Amino acid sequence: MHKLLFGVLMVVVWWMLHALQWEEERAMGLLYEMKRAVNRSAHAAAQQADRDRLELGIPSIDPGLARAAADLYLQANLRLDRDFRPLPGSPLRHPPAVLVFEVINGEHEFPYTYYNPEYNFRVTLRRPGVVMVVRAEYPRLFSVMGPVVWQIKGAAELVHV
Amino acid sequence: MKQLLVFVLFAPLFCWLAFSPVYKHVLLVRQALLQQEADYLLEIGASGAYGYIDREMVAESRLRLARYGFRPELLEYDIESTNGMPADQPAEPLPRGVGLRLEIRYPYERLLDIDRLIGLDVPGPEGRIAASGMKMSEYVP
Repeated sequence: MHKLLFGVLMVVVWWMLHALQWEEERAMGLLYEMKRAVNRSAHAAAQQADRDRLELGIPSIDPGLARAAADLYLQANLRLDRDFRPLPGSPLRHPPAVLVFEVINGEHEFPYTYYNPEYNFRVTLRRPGVVMVVRAEYPRLFSVMGPVVWQIKGAAELVHV
Repeated sequence: MKQLLVFVLFAPLFCWLAFSPVYKHVLLVRQALLQQEADYLLEIGASGAYGYIDREMVAESRLRLARYGFRPELLEYDIESTNGMPADQPAEPLPRGVGLRLEIRYPYERLLDIDRLIGLDVPGPEGRIAASGMKMSEYVP
């Protein structure tokens, strides 16, 4: 009898290890996917050049267009709807939130080092650019692992012609 | 006798416990490889030098993935733009501001069939693992 009990116990332990390993690998994959989505939306936002000021020879970014582009690319890459709620096929279960979105324009001297003490995010921009921080939660399949919440940081510079 | 009976009763469960982690791991690695390839193609395709992902780039990508054990003829590539322009024509690259969307799909190839041992539903032959992304083109004429 105790042999059977031991067997069942081993099955449970083995299965928990298996679940933990699978979960960690999936979480790692999702973290990278999120990072790429954030990078792409920062990249799209940083390309929204302000044409009127560009004509005057000042490269700068239109903040309104930049925010719209960033949201659009985040939604497309993570398959979210307009209110950031996950659509079917999305890797997320909880809506992500854009915590920081800042457009760094000509009001600063370049190279400019942006520093955000709240998220401990430091980046040096050589040209006008965009910095953003997105919060996302990993959708756990099993509860063998504690909840995982990421603050994903991304930055991009205006690409010069 | 009793032990033998217990073993026979639990044999499918033991098989599943022993081998399913390997299959799951292969699946995760394949997914990661597809995603890596999609990112690479997008990075190159959306850069200022190209603005498209043409047939030649897709053929090279198939070869790269074949080196990891994918069967190149089963890989499916979907290349689209956000404004309806063809995104695979070197003659008309997507201008800056237009998004380049790519999806690579590959069948499960019965990797999850082992889950049948414990009575889970498995995706059918038309099920696909997919990696996708959208990046804004940087190309300026």
